[in-house]
Amino acid sequence: MALTLLHRHALEDHILGFETSANPNHLSVARRPVIFSVLAHAGQEQAVGLALKAAPDIAPRFCGPAEWLAVSLTAGSETVAGHLSEISGASVVDQSDGKVLMAISGPSVRQILAKCVGVDLHPQAFAPGHSANMLFGHVAVNLARTGPDAFEIITPRSFAGSVYEDLMEMGREFALTASFSGG
Amino acid sequence: MASLITCPHCGTRPKEEFSVRGAVIARPSASEKDEAWHRYVYVRDNPKGRYQEYWHHAAGCRRWLVVNRDNLTHEVFGVTDAQASREGSR
Repeated sequence: MALTLLHRHALEDHILGFETSANPNHLSVARRPVIFSVLAHAGQEQAVGLALKAAPDIAPRFCGPAEWLAVSLTAGSETVAGHLSEISGASVVDQSDGKVLMAISGPSVRQILAKCVGVDLHPQAFAPGHSANMLFGHVAVNLARTGPDAFEIITPRSFAGSVYEDLMEMGREFALTASFSGG
Repeated sequence: MASLITCPHCGTRPKEEFSVRGAVIARPSASEKDEAWHRYVYVRDNPKGRYQEYWHHAAGCRRWLVVNRDNLTHEVFGVTDAQASREGSR
């Protein structure tokens, strides 16, 4: 019997119904982001950090000392794995199936996130390019600032529904809309 | 959120992100007498005032930190990574 494996997004049941056009405050859920976990070996922390920054198509996200998430929305997982394998002194694991990436942007994004995380998101304290793990409601997520009014949230797949519902609830007063993005 | 801890890796964070794991005391060597191990495992001074504790940054960098604080006023005097503070005391 032929077995067909279909990819089904964790938020498939949450984002349903009629497609609405995106409001200024918009949450866009990446369909198939490539997310690798990167751990530096002892003594290699700095070199691996620099190599990650220099790697093409890869956005490194800080998790803790000697630990990053390597994110790519443009390259495929083989390409990213190839780039990462060139970094010496690092252990790399594909986490794409276990993580969900959501990008939130718009003029009110900081007011929305202020109701979710206990971290100062003023540009002076959390500048574009900055990223860190933090508590979002009751879920530990990785939050990154990708622009002045743009953030990306990476959550464990099984918590994505709860994080998504929380975000939409907090964004309701700012007319936050949501949709999938990318193939 | 009143209680803020400045993690050396993640920055200032609310205490909800951490899990407090008790006093920082020197671990006896494996050949030490039962009495010393009993004291290490069960007996605590519970002083009022300045105190050193292990805090695990469970929702952030997941590192163990040594928080030097006053348990009466919750004034925080310093936060260091447990590994760094152990290497410093050697």
